[in-house]
Amino acid sequence: MGAITPLGHSVEELFRSQIEGQSGVSPIELFNARQFPTRFAAQVKNFDLGRHVKDAERFVDSGANCRFAVAATQQALADADLLDNHKVDRTRCGVYLGCGEGIQDFHNLIRLVAQSYRPEQRSVDTALFARGGLSCFHSHREFEQEPHTAPAHLADYFDLQGPNFNCLTACAASSQAIGEATEMIRHGDADVMLSGGAHSMIHPFGLTGFNLLTALSTNNAEPTRASRPCDLNRHGFVLGEGAGMVVLEELEHARRRGASIYAEMTGYGSTGDAFRITDSCPDGRGAIACIRGAMKDSGLAPTDIGYINAHGTSTQVNDRGETIAIKNVFGDFAYKIPVSSSKSMLGHLIAAAGAVELITAVMALRRAILPPTINYEVPDPDCDLDYIPNVAREKRVEHALSNSFGFGGQNISLIVSRFHA
Amino acid sequence: MAPSSRRAVVTGLGMVTPIGTGKAAFWEALSSRRSGIRPLTAFDASALPCRVAGQINGFDAKQYIDKKERKSIKVMSRTIQLAVAGAQLALDDAGVDKAQLDPARFGVEFGAGLIASELEEIGPPARISVDAHPDFVDLDKWGAEGLASMPPLWMLKYLPNMLASHVSILHNAQGPNNTITENEVASLLALGEAYRIIARDLADFFLVGGADSKLNPLSMVRHSLFMPLTRRNEDPERACRPFDRSRDGMILGEGAGVLAVEELEHAKKRGAHIYAEIVGFGAAFDRGCKGPGLARAVRAALGDAGIAPEDVDHINAQGTSAVEADIWEARGLHEVFGGCKCPVPVLAVKSYLGSLIAGSSTTELTASLLALEHGKVPATLNYEEPDARCPVPVINESQPVTKPYVVKVSFTELGQCAAAVLKKW
Repeated sequence: MGAITPLGHSVEELFRSQIEGQSGVSPIELFNARQFPTRFAAQVKNFDLGRHVKDAERFVDSGANCRFAVAATQQALADADLLDNHKVDRTRCGVYLGCGEGIQDFHNLIRLVAQSYRPEQRSVDTALFARGGLSCFHSHREFEQEPHTAPAHLADYFDLQGPNFNCLTACAASSQAIGEATEMIRHGDADVMLSGGAHSMIHPFGLTGFNLLTALSTNNAEPTRASRPCDLNRHGFVLGEGAGMVVLEELEHARRRGASIYAEMTGYGSTGDAFRITDSCPDGRGAIACIRGAMKDSGLAPTDIGYINAHGTSTQVNDRGETIAIKNVFGDFAYKIPVSSSKSMLGHLIAAAGAVELITAVMALRRAILPPTINYEVPDPDCDLDYIPNVAREKRVEHALSNSFGFGGQNISLIVSRFHA
Repeated sequence: MAPSSRRAVVTGLGMVTPIGTGKAAFWEALSSRRSGIRPLTAFDASALPCRVAGQINGFDAKQYIDKKERKSIKVMSRTIQLAVAGAQLALDDAGVDKAQLDPARFGVEFGAGLIASELEEIGPPARISVDAHPDFVDLDKWGAEGLASMPPLWMLKYLPNMLASHVSILHNAQGPNNTITENEVASLLALGEAYRIIARDLADFFLVGGADSKLNPLSMVRHSLFMPLTRRNEDPERACRPFDRSRDGMILGEGAGVLAVEELEHAKKRGAHIYAEIVGFGAAFDRGCKGPGLARAVRAALGDAGIAPEDVDHINAQGTSAVEADIWEARGLHEVFGGCKCPVPVLAVKSYLGSLIAGSSTTELTASLLALEHGKVPATLNYEEPDARCPVPVINESQPVTKPYVVKVSFTELGQCAAAVLKKW
């Protein structure tokens, strides 16, 4: 496993910080956001790709998403002993990411639009715009915004010649990637799949888009207290950025080469809300069907689940709907399952969120300690489960569920289980 | 894992393309060798180096959306509108009574790409933020005043997963819902994944497709910078010439191709017309774009189908008309099919449409499905002089279908490859 996150540049740091209940949220330094409705985010700090790979200059024109992905992949493949390991058939090693797009050249685009926009006609002089764009946009950096570049670069750089996919289903993307990559191994399409996600929407257009939707917290006075999933006074999510990568491997293949095994992927559920593009169905129907699908896939009983890493965005609608869904699926036992939201500390890594949260759930199984939901202060009668308020909890867990629900209605649930040799 | 007994068949085709909307018009154009490449007129393209494209004229999304749902058109970019139209046409062609579909077993899977913001929407905030100094974007002004001048749902109009989201909402499809964002190969990967999801018994009915439109100022500028586009502006209909020796670059097109894909027994039970069965899928990465990775993807698909290269009637190639891409594609195909006693002919549908990017694979595939239906493979346009570096037998005249299998091949310029095998029903 590998991770580049607002709470550290390794899986170890990421997990330790969560157990300590740290917040990765701070005022935005990546650009001038002083006059935006929201002026804070969970940023990856002091990231230097050169500390992770030798030839970082190869990725100089790539977006933050790709650069985070390269570093997290380097860690994950080193951890799995699959870097430069040619005892493994590299044509049987694939890639399935939920990687976001790169970052638009906001400055040049806005400058050119301002020059070529004709307010009287509400139209753009496209010839003027095109002439400007052809001379000032940087061709490589423009190309690197395309969402197929990161998975291709990883395949090329790390010699992974098997099937190569990238899905982009908003906040569910990297969970969906891990679920489908698991299915590809089950089906025999590959022996090893690099999976996960990487994304940054902490840029002027990203912040603009989410602020226009009024989806973000605007608690500029207290950024570290802004993300408060399931708390009565929650009022929106906090943007984050980063990457999480996992190496999935067919069990016998892993055994034969003596690989160390973190956990087993035991359940995957995937549904669509088919409700609205702006929010999820308040009765939780998509989430319910999705969690049920993952449970059915795993063959586990509801009482087997010992921990839920929630989607837990800190919006009114999500946290209420997710709670309804958990209660619907697990019945009275729902009250006995500890549930926490990594987003209370990491913010929302959008396409990368699910992978980083799954890694968190795997570490919770391994270390027998569950990360908390921080900023949980005032209970909401509609959110009445055990959210592991503010302090990590020691508990040995056999099976954990991780949920991810995308803007637009894509729902994903993954179940991971302790592996017994 | 034991092979699934569940089989997936194609029961509906929906296409919105530069050569026609719906299967009848599309087939008519293919049969009469009518190219859809024209001078680009969607906006003033005079400053662009490439000014020809596969443009759709007179498209009106309202025709494809129920009256009560039409308010949602304003939050759909053109790409989303094309996807929604293609999906409606595929459902119509499949003759489905939606009331009979189980929403939980109805999936949607699309190939999609980046969608450029309409410049008119960012004109007002741009003007507010760049007033005094033309080279300085004042983010203080953008945040304080500019932002509020934009439509509240602005971002949702441009997210790639919104193609599949809108389609699922319009048709109450609550099954698996995914969006693959890998450029030219995206919608073929989507088709492969949907085929596998049906086989593992998580859906009975799928709308699978891809849609794209780069024919707007921002996308055209960006693609002019990084895509090898043709300079043959004076001769649009002859500009896209896959595998031909005098080809000089790609052409962008717009459109959507959507398939209704259905579990066999489900299709039989409702008496559906079946075009073909999906019998094989494979994917691979071609490191360095030399051909062997593409060949591996094709071999994996043929192996999945349990057939030999000789069993294939024709290959529905990527055939971009780019100088380099056609070479390594041809090498990869030659590696698999070069040894066949009877050459397996190659069809390149882009010669009619240009490249629909994320919409390419599924749209192009419909040409082969109609070929199986009509017993006749259409010609590739503009293939006049073979290129020794492209050792593939391109069909430049229509010819009869003689075998039951077709292979669809797609890839990205960075080496992501996929192939699917379909069998005439």
